[in-house]
Amino acid sequence: MVAYGPRIVLLAAASIAFVFVDATAQQPSTGATPAAASPAPAPAIPPTWAQGRKPEQEALNLSPHPPGLTALPLEEIPVDKIKVPEGFSVSVWASGIPNGRSMTFGKNGTLFVGTRFVDTVYAVVDRNGRREVKPILKGLHRPNGVAFRNGALYVAEVSRILRFDNIESSLDNPPQPVVVFDALPKDEAHGWKFMALGPDGWLYFQIGSPGNILIPPVTHAQIARVDPDRGVLETVAARVRNSVGMDFHPVTKELWFTNNGRDWMGDDAPNDTLHRVTHKGMNFGFPFCHQGDLLDDQFGKGRSCKEFDPPALKLGTHVAPLGMRFYTGQQFPPEYRNNIFIAEHGSWNRTRKLGFNVSRVVLDDHGQVVKYEPFATGFLQGESFWGRPVDVQVAPDGALLVSDDVAGAIYRIAYRR
Amino acid sequence: MRIDALRGRFGVLLTLLWATGAALGADAVAGRAKAEVCAACHGADGNSTNPLVPSLAAQPPLYVYYQLLQFREQRRVDEQMTPFAAKLTDTNMKDIAAYYSAQKPLGADQPPDQARSEAGKTVAAGNHCASCHMPDFSGQKHIARIGGQQYQYLVKQLRGFKSGERPDIDGTMSSAAQPLSDQDITDVSWYLSGLR
Repeated sequence: MVAYGPRIVLLAAASIAFVFVDATAQQPSTGATPAAASPAPAPAIPPTWAQGRKPEQEALNLSPHPPGLTALPLEEIPVDKIKVPEGFSVSVWASGIPNGRSMTFGKNGTLFVGTRFVDTVYAVVDRNGRREVKPILKGLHRPNGVAFRNGALYVAEVSRILRFDNIESSLDNPPQPVVVFDALPKDEAHGWKFMALGPDGWLYFQIGSPGNILIPPVTHAQIARVDPDRGVLETVAARVRNSVGMDFHPVTKELWFTNNGRDWMGDDAPNDTLHRVTHKGMNFGFPFCHQGDLLDDQFGKGRSCKEFDPPALKLGTHVAPLGMRFYTGQQFPPEYRNNIFIAEHGSWNRTRKLGFNVSRVVLDDHGQVVKYEPFATGFLQGESFWGRPVDVQVAPDGALLVSDDVAGAIYRIAYRR
Repeated sequence: MRIDALRGRFGVLLTLLWATGAALGADAVAGRAKAEVCAACHGADGNSTNPLVPSLAAQPPLYVYYQLLQFREQRRVDEQMTPFAAKLTDTNMKDIAAYYSAQKPLGADQPPDQARSEAGKTVAAGNHCASCHMPDFSGQKHIARIGGQQYQYLVKQLRGFKSGERPDIDGTMSSAAQPLSDQDITDVSWYLSGLR
């Protein structure tokens, strides 16, 4: 067993390097009469989601849910099914936003919404209490990450970060983009980005693992940051499978992020996780150790979870935690100050669905988690879902906005008004 | 009955397809009339006889709906399809998709070539095509039925995925096509096209 391990590792790494890192390379022709000396072609690897699936799991018929590409008409959005705690209310804040995902506010109150599958960035503008949804940028490659800084909208595609200057005064005629950084990996698998502006002015985002479970190249499976003025790239935290949500603690300014755990280790393993970055050089263990205390069933051999930094919280298995923000508004009751809200997109790699809600994490003054509970539920009815939360954003008036990339809508959760 | 046979083998899958159709709120009867304009190229029952035009019979309804959307939004571009899709509402797309998904697939008129089929079968297995397209290549969810599809159409799509000329929704096919040689592409297309 021990002697077998490294061979698997090398083989996996070689095929990853071939298929993903250098996706533009052409494989030598495997024509009918290859020369005797030709090396055997590298074995193709399964699609990302199926990597690590065991033969006996095929009968489960589990595969990712279809992407949301459409928007429900306003009158068909079952917003009354969303349940929130006593004193809170939910309404549709904006609709008609196919695949609307990550959100960021501009200085003048424009909400920018990125997408993963429809090559579009939207702007939502409030005109006298009515929201106007405009597709402002088209033809981008998975423009999932959005951030706003010094009047400019920054958009993270798979391999590039773009800047659109003075965007709020040019929504109907956006400027040509300035390329801030264009040397990120081009892998499609976990290649879409969540991006957040740090208190230091750097842009933070993930470079996901290029597959479900494998030894990733050192360039991948990390939280990274770029200095948007100098175009310098740095690693913030290593061995993170795929984070699609992050924010900075309003008091300590520490980075917190959500992480999606691997698939095909069963319904009840491993947990998706919430992480706290307290210092440089942290290593969160992927693919050797999951959730801080569970060795991988393949890559964990000979390793110990003690080698790695543990998560701050286990969030449940396969719940798919995506966008997260600290609550910095004044509208909710005082006990909500500096809580974390997390949008959980919901499971596919689980025989009974889990997630599909917005959850709440309460921290004490030392940053220790004291409570984790559902906050907005009802997107899942039995085993059917009608919507999937992707991101949360605190609005200027202190309400909480929630994006949904299946219903193509943004909801507003308000307290007592 | 065909449906019953399918249900026996792929009960979960079929339930999923039906659930998808129901979730779409589609009307296959209305779709029949709306699809009349499609028949000239795709065949009245969705079985194409034009080598470059795909068969739509028994395609998963979400596949047809999503591809029509891709054409309308110009994320997938085709001289023939773009003008048709430009005029379609979401409801019309869903109805058309429901109609074609209920048609019986007849397969492509593919002359037998055992050696090519065997070579293509090996390519399909080695590249994990069944992971998404299902073991009988009948498709699922938003993923195409490729068994019995027109050979030249399949070759064109795979070459397009490899070169980037043919965009795909989530990048899975562009990634999957990278390791394929042109020989692999023609072999696997031959194999798939010959399936019934």
